[in-house]
Amino acid sequence: MQQEVVLAMLAKEPSHGYQLRARLRQALGPLGDAMNAGHIYVTLTRLERAGLVAAEPPTTARDRPDRKTYGLTPVGQQRVAEWLAEVSWPKPDLAEFHLKLIAAAAAGLADPLTIVDTQRRELLRRLRDAQRAAMTEPDGSDAALLLEGIVLRLQADLRWLEACEQSWTGRGSRS
Amino acid sequence: MGRVLLVGRLAARNVRRRPAEAALLVLAIMAATTMLTLGLALHGVTDNPYQRTQEVTAGADVVASVGPLEVAPGRAVPVDLARLEALTDVPGVVDHSGPYPATTAELEADGIRTEVWAVGRDSAEVSVDQPKLTQGSWVEDGGVVIEAAFANALDVGAGDQVTLNGRSLQVVGVAVTAAASYTHVCFGHPVCSFLIGSAPDWVRQGPPAEPPDGQTETVDVGPSTADAGLVWLTQTDARSLARAEAALSYVMNLKLADPAEAPAFVDAHSPTSWDALFLASWLDIRETYGEFVRGAQRALVTFSSLLTLLAMASVAVLVGGRMADQTRRVGLLKAVGGTPGLVAVVLLAEYMVLALLAAAAGLAVGWLAAPLLSDPGAGLLGSAGTPSLTVSTVGVVTGVALGVAVLASFVSAVRAARTSTVHALADSARRPRRTRWLIALSTRLPVPLLLGLRVVARRPRRVLLGVASIAVTVSGIVVVLAGRAAMAADWEGPSSLDPQAGRANQVLLVITVTLVALAAINAIVITWAAALDARHASALARALGATPGEVSASLSAAQVLPAFAGAVLGVAAGLALWAALSNDEANPTYWQLLAVVAGTVLVVAALTTIPASIGARRPTAEILQAELP
Amino acid sequence: MRDTADTAVLRARGLRKEYGTGEGLVRAVDGVDLDVASGETVAVMGPSGCGKSTLLHLLGGLDRPSSGEVWLGDRRIDQIGERALARVRRTDVGFVFQAFHLMDELTAVENVELPALLAGRSRSVARRQAASLLDRVGLADRAGFLPSALSGGQRQRVAIARALSNEPLIVFADEPTGNLDGAATVDVLRLFDSLSEAGQTLVIVTHDARIAATADRLISMRDGAFVDETRLTGGSTGQLGALVGLEG
Repeated sequence: MQQEVVLAMLAKEPSHGYQLRARLRQALGPLGDAMNAGHIYVTLTRLERAGLVAAEPPTTARDRPDRKTYGLTPVGQQRVAEWLAEVSWPKPDLAEFHLKLIAAAAAGLADPLTIVDTQRRELLRRLRDAQRAAMTEPDGSDAALLLEGIVLRLQADLRWLEACEQSWTGRGSRS
Repeated sequence: MGRVLLVGRLAARNVRRRPAEAALLVLAIMAATTMLTLGLALHGVTDNPYQRTQEVTAGADVVASVGPLEVAPGRAVPVDLARLEALTDVPGVVDHSGPYPATTAELEADGIRTEVWAVGRDSAEVSVDQPKLTQGSWVEDGGVVIEAAFANALDVGAGDQVTLNGRSLQVVGVAVTAAASYTHVCFGHPVCSFLIGSAPDWVRQGPPAEPPDGQTETVDVGPSTADAGLVWLTQTDARSLARAEAALSYVMNLKLADPAEAPAFVDAHSPTSWDALFLASWLDIRETYGEFVRGAQRALVTFSSLLTLLAMASVAVLVGGRMADQTRRVGLLKAVGGTPGLVAVVLLAEYMVLALLAAAAGLAVGWLAAPLLSDPGAGLLGSAGTPSLTVSTVGVVTGVALGVAVLASFVSAVRAARTSTVHALADSARRPRRTRWLIALSTRLPVPLLLGLRVVARRPRRVLLGVASIAVTVSGIVVVLAGRAAMAADWEGPSSLDPQAGRANQVLLVITVTLVALAAINAIVITWAAALDARHASALARALGATPGEVSASLSAAQVLPAFAGAVLGVAAGLALWAALSNDEANPTYWQLLAVVAGTVLVVAALTTIPASIGARRPTAEILQAELP
Repeated sequence: MRDTADTAVLRARGLRKEYGTGEGLVRAVDGVDLDVASGETVAVMGPSGCGKSTLLHLLGGLDRPSSGEVWLGDRRIDQIGERALARVRRTDVGFVFQAFHLMDELTAVENVELPALLAGRSRSVARRQAASLLDRVGLADRAGFLPSALSGGQRQRVAIARALSNEPLIVFADEPTGNLDGAATVDVLRLFDSLSEAGQTLVIVTHDARIAATADRLISMRDGAFVDETRLTGGSTGQLGALVGLEG
């Protein structure tokens, strides 16, 4: 979980850990189910150590991390502002798969077309799952929007896999 | 200059792109212009032959006759021959022949019985009105010479036998005269004025109850005949044919110093009250020779106006169908700076050029075909010669052609020129119209009618044009039928002797054929446009489960139902038109009208079945795969 | 696993469609065998020109094969006459096209009732049925609208309602989302999903992976022949969370 995301979630007002978790789950919908509770607290602790958040003393005497209220420090607030203004985009990591195909072909370890096919099938199944999930979400919800993004990315990836298949078929007939 | 060239180039290119449509347009307008040309070219076509005949026979300038004046059955005022002879003393009369005796008689030839006027002549030649022999020799005892047109109708010639009032005579000759045309023969009876020129009031009022000066005698005058033929006999033979000496009429032929004075002479000496002295000038007589052709001419000119309407319908459909194409061109022209005026001119220019072509073609064909209809008949010498195309004829025909083109395309052109440039370039195809009640009605009907009615509902304007064109055609046919019925009713004698029959049938045939041909062109154009339009809907219907038979029946029904409506409308319109055109009572019979309606429906069904079933059997997938227009 | 041969509503053997002769011979469909079980959703994917649309037309009775057999239900349809084929289209088959192919001058409900009218049903029955079908696709409030007043997705939904008009054995869809944008595609997806759940057999031709992903079985086609088949039902190998990198 990106640290900046947790920081930004605290920008409105200080929250308990479990409140944070609830908000994240709502925003992510079914994808949030995979989220590990522990992740949040680990991240919060790291942020506290970095001085970006500060834990307010609990109202009760017990010192449980999930009962602590965390809030942004001024440094933290500045970091959030910077993060919101950034335009970096998550990197599509196609290079790995691309190299996988080349390596398999060069070393004669496997047929690249088979690799592409298998990957394609997997992506199709994921697409199906994502689509199903999207349809159960209410229209216009945050989760639906996220799922649409996933579906579209998978579609794009599948198109690229088709291109790979066409390209590697050509190579096979040439050599 | 540049603009004219541009317009010309654009127009020429448009015509070349769709040659079939251009040809149909030209054909449609050409039918109207040809008929109009024919009609106009027949004007005065018997004048020259009449003149020739007059010269050759030394024709009379005035024909005068007297006869017994019947005032009551069996009682008549006797003939005053002196009165007739006194005419020769009138100043201005330079020569005369006669008086000759004339009487009605019954002739029988080859089983045909008819009335004739028999005039007794000398065997010696005379200087005024000596009929010119075309067969055989002049009168002799026991022989009869028959007037040429009459002989033609009877189909007798020199050497045949005929009987007159039971007495057998030999036909010794056939001759042509300028003094009386077949069926306009009459001597010494006021009723004669009905046959030649128009009858004065005193004739219309009928005979007075009492003779003018009280003198009558008992004589059986016999019926006054109309539609009689003319024969010549020797004076002795003619007199012997009469019922009685007192029943004879007498005819005299006069030559004037100045032939142009003939009408004045007739006016000066014609009686003003019921009288048995009858005068006719050569001008009046010449009119009667032209009557047959005049009838044909009138019919042709009248029908050419019907054809003009039909042509307009054709052009409107053709133009409307191309409007989608035009709209885009309009947009382009406007986008590069053309004014709405220029745009309208470009749109119209193409049609005007085609109309001019059609006018020229119609003039040519009409001019070439006119001799076929302008035969002056056997009663005159010589032929009419090549008809001349006067400037006025050319002007009228060209004007009509241009008028058709402009009127029929005007609305579409203006609409296209007024479209905003953006819309024109975007050029969405014309949306089909939604006719709610037709769609609702169609759901109650079996599948072919359901689909067919919806095809009709999509393009109501085109369907209306189709109905209109059928209605115009059928009304024309009804008028033709009524005309024939009127002519048949008019002629009292045996039908083979009807002088009008041959030419009239010819003309009516020409008219009917042209009407039907033009209507067929219309039907084809409309069906073709409709089939193209309905292609997508038909393919979709088949994809949804309609059989090809149902679809092809629907395409046919979409043409046949409007045709039926048009035929019924046309019958009504035709009867109304006939009532307006003439005060003749004769109408086509109910059976004929029924036959016309049934015939129209059958013909349209036949014409549309083939394209319909071809359209219904094309592979569905093909049509649906194509991009939607 | 079900024995598809027993409950197959669609069976094709050795389907071929050829155009032209000699040098210009084009094999649009080159030897296709297919079985579709009742209630199944089958998607056929492939690049343009691979013959998938032609195949669909052959299977759905819109076109005749050059050789091979097609069985719909228990009836063989590749060699029957045009009249009988029309009857098949009326009762056993529903078609959805990429271009919608609605009649522009008819309202939505009039478009939907058309197949029923063609099948000879009475006016009132057809109208009632059409209204309920429009309700099923969620357009009950648009029944009186003309296609020009409907969005692309709505038009396609009307077309789908029309395809269902005669309770067909199979609904064939040829690139149903080809002319639709993202939101409309989702609407159609949802509809296909609900039809599939209700037990409707669907055969869809598409090059949109999203549509293909809704199928139970995905067949890849190339140059007129099937080259691959994937069964998509059964869970994926990874959790959804992996899609967004929630681990670590």
